[in-house]
Amino acid sequence: MAAVDPFDSALQPGSKLTRTHPSSSDLLRRLNPKHTSEHLNALIQLAPDLTEDLLSSVDQPLAVRRCRQTGRDYLLCDYNRDGDSYRSPWSNEFDPPLQDAAPSAGEEQSNPAGLPSEKVRRMEIKANEAFDIYRELYYEGGVSSVYFWNLDDGFAGVVLLKKVAAPGTSGEGTWDSIHVFEAIDRARFTQYNLTSTVILSLATDGSSLGEMDLSGNMTRQIEIELPAESDEQQIANIGKLVEDMELKMRNLLQEVYFGKAKDVVGDLRSVGSLSETAREREAQRDIIGSMRR
Amino acid sequence: MASLATIESFVEGAPPGELADVINDIKTLTINEPSLVSELGPAFEKYNEEQFATVKLPGSSQQVVISSHNSLGDGRYFDVESSSSFAFDHATQKASEVQSHVLDGAQADLVNSTLKSLSTYVQEHYPKASYGVYPTENDTKIAIIIVANKYSPNNYWNGRWRSLYIFDPSSGSLEGSIKVDVHYYEDGNVRLLTNKPITSSVSSGTGAGISKEIATSEKKYQEELNRGFTSLSEGAFKSLRRQLPVTRQKIEWDRVASYRVGQDIGGGSSRR
Repeated sequence: MAAVDPFDSALQPGSKLTRTHPSSSDLLRRLNPKHTSEHLNALIQLAPDLTEDLLSSVDQPLAVRRCRQTGRDYLLCDYNRDGDSYRSPWSNEFDPPLQDAAPSAGEEQSNPAGLPSEKVRRMEIKANEAFDIYRELYYEGGVSSVYFWNLDDGFAGVVLLKKVAAPGTSGEGTWDSIHVFEAIDRARFTQYNLTSTVILSLATDGSSLGEMDLSGNMTRQIEIELPAESDEQQIANIGKLVEDMELKMRNLLQEVYFGKAKDVVGDLRSVGSLSETAREREAQRDIIGSMRR
Repeated sequence: MASLATIESFVEGAPPGELADVINDIKTLTINEPSLVSELGPAFEKYNEEQFATVKLPGSSQQVVISSHNSLGDGRYFDVESSSSFAFDHATQKASEVQSHVLDGAQADLVNSTLKSLSTYVQEHYPKASYGVYPTENDTKIAIIIVANKYSPNNYWNGRWRSLYIFDPSSGSLEGSIKVDVHYYEDGNVRLLTNKPITSSVSSGTGAGISKEIATSEKKYQEELNRGFTSLSEGAFKSLRRQLPVTRQKIEWDRVASYRVGQDIGGGSSRR
């Protein structure tokens, strides 16, 4: 973000970014969420000066890479990216290795892709272990990754979880969780600001059903102050916040995907006959009316 | 040129009832190249004809359908029920210049009888829908269209059901598709998109027979779609993330480090 955008000078500077960005996010909220990555690339092509802004603010399905040092899978996002390289949470190494390790030294706090300080990296290791257990208990598979970085007045991080359900008789699906948080030191508490996005894609088909695709993403935010006197307590706080948020969001997704969407279909077309339904309603009214008398 | 193709794809992807919003976003994004938006005419036409846009004719309260099957060319369309033709502005979705248009030709009688029985069916199963029947493919077949929209932008959702059938009187075959498109966008973006091809036949070849077959296919499909929701909810969705761990208890985060010892607490296989 602090870096000079090479495209900036080619176009109008300054105000354009703030003026056009609401339109691009409104557009991404409307176009088919199954193809957000394609729409994002199209937007970048249309407005190159929004590239960094869009890449850092739009959540896309997470890519998986295998760590060369440990053989374990990890997830890629803008927060463990430096140029074309991604940092593995298991080895702390970038892949491909960074050409020039020096440039961001001394200003790592303004560069989310930079390495966390030693103390924050120690917490990051513990958080990765904790969320690996969380992943096993809730997802029974999948991949998790946690990345931390330093802030002037605390630290920040992202907790990522991904699971793919292979195509089967009951459909196929992909779940991506992206939890971005700040943990800011206050006098007696730590203030946590958490923004969580779940990208959920489901699809099924068959000769009698045809194609059915139910895809999308939902975002929720929470701010809370909690005591945190040790690194362990920090991780426990973040763990609880993410666990509660995911439970809430899972219920919300269930309601929207299988309740709301189905209700709207029922509003468009009625399986039963509308005149019969109206007659039944009238009969009910009559019964209630006669009981009142 | 590449930019035009990009914004054309945005138009094509506009959810039900949100074309104007998408166009506003495009206008802001291409503010440096205002000429781009003026080149979207063909994209609007394609969108309106594929999505079966509906329009009120001046002086009428009924919505009529826009499609390639009732196009007269030069931006004019016809409606059988009101025996009129009209000019349609694809950018503003407004109709004007209504003229009399009386249908004749080989399929005229079948078109009229199908329209009559279809009207009864549509009223029985769609709270609010538009429909049309038109001769097509050089007056050798008839096209039947039903489109139902429900827009609730204040509650952040919009939906569309559209059906298209082509009946071939020479073979009695009825082929088409039903497409449902639902968009929910409060604090997110969720989309249901379905496509169900229909292959059927109507031996009687009458308007009543065609409408009866459509009614049967659509009822069957809607029931199947409702089962699809249940199947995805109980199947893929459940297999992605549990509501609670097998233990039915939330994680004790203060003790989470000790979970590592009893690694298999969740019963799953670990990657390590």
